[in-house]
Amino acid sequence: MTKAFSFSLIILCIASALFQEFGLTRLTFFNVSPDAVTVFLGFLAVSAGQRASTSFGFAVGILTGILSGNMGLNMLSRTVEGFIAGYFHIPEDSHATAKQKTRRFFSAVVIAGFCGNAVIAAGYNPLGLSPAYRVVVLGLLESFITLILAVILHWLFLKKSLVD
Amino acid sequence: MRKFFILFSKYNTYLLFVIYCSISVLFMKLQNDNVLTKLRTSGLEFSAVINEKLMSLTYLFTLNKENERLMRVNTYLLTKVLNFETAAVDERNRRKILNDTTFNPSGYIIARVVDRKFSDHDNMLLINAGWKNGIQKDMTVLVPEGLVGRVTSVSEHFAKVMPVINTDFKVSVVSDSSNCMGLLSWSGGKEFITQVEHIPISSHLKLNERMVTSDFSTFSVRGIPVGRVVRIKPDKLFYTVDVWLAVDFSSLTQVLIAPLKIEPEKVKITTDSTLNEQFP
Repeated sequence: MTKAFSFSLIILCIASALFQEFGLTRLTFFNVSPDAVTVFLGFLAVSAGQRASTSFGFAVGILTGILSGNMGLNMLSRTVEGFIAGYFHIPEDSHATAKQKTRRFFSAVVIAGFCGNAVIAAGYNPLGLSPAYRVVVLGLLESFITLILAVILHWLFLKKSLVD
Repeated sequence: MRKFFILFSKYNTYLLFVIYCSISVLFMKLQNDNVLTKLRTSGLEFSAVINEKLMSLTYLFTLNKENERLMRVNTYLLTKVLNFETAAVDERNRRKILNDTTFNPSGYIIARVVDRKFSDHDNMLLINAGWKNGIQKDMTVLVPEGLVGRVTSVSEHFAKVMPVINTDFKVSVVSDSSNCMGLLSWSGGKEFITQVEHIPISSHLKLNERMVTSDFSTFSVRGIPVGRVVRIKPDKLFYTVDVWLAVDFSSLTQVLIAPLKIEPEKVKITTDSTLNEQFP
């Protein structure tokens, strides 16, 4: 990982956290909103590996935790997201096609998002909903909405980064 | 020791994950700690400030809608205010007429001026009372200040009034002090100045004398103020007199219509010449 790439990742990390906290939280569908941080972690996991995505997940968790007032749980869920997304990493010498990378990126976003939401649902239930409903229904819904966001962001910005 | 390092380098991601999770759980356990509480409070304050700024920014984008809404409210309120003001002015004028002690308002019909055609040579008023309200042709139209004109045509709900300031309008007038009689007419131009003709040069007419309608008039009752003398210009046989009208036609909103002066015998005797032969 070069210095410039690391710097870009730090900027992206802060930007995604701020975008999530001040922008996307206003965009709710059925009590869930898309998650830009999950998309960032999915992209990071695919391109930089599990260790980087876990570490950045932890760091972005601190940031979103400070901004949302729920530090510990945010740190934990983001760390889990980064760690899970790391399993979809494609090594640089793998010769994977752009299509394969994109597919892995979307899978990383969906699975990591679902797991992160499950962690949050286990520790925080402000609406008093049943844990099963929160984990399964809202988790799947949030993963789907986040996938749509990932598709849009991929189409707009990430296409070039995931070439052959 | 070597084995430990090999193990660490092989599974460092898992170890990192465990360490991060442990720290996170520790933060969850210590969330009521002073330092963490302060940090959380500061974060929330920062978040609130940013959200407030964003909200005001969003408000800017919705200003058009807000303006449209306010315009609708303004239009509604303006209509209400205008209606109330008009009603208040009408009521004030009506009371002014009814409270005037110079004449008895019973038998008079009150009407509102609903249209007017004013030019420097031909003026006409339209009032909102017609034959259904008892208005007839040749009735006298007046206000407490003085004579306004005469009714020239009547429909069911409206009547047309020829005001004093119409070149076809003529009325017989008399001065209240010197009893000089003349014929008042308007020759166009200023809407507050009329002329009185046929006042003999031998009469003792003075400036500022009040002119009122005389008994000679075929339509108007006598004694209705018309104006006051502001200029007397002697000619060969008669004076040319300028009279400042008592009525301000520019602010005329409500008028009274006097009952019709019915003097058939007088009309008959002035028009029928054969009647003279019946008397010795």
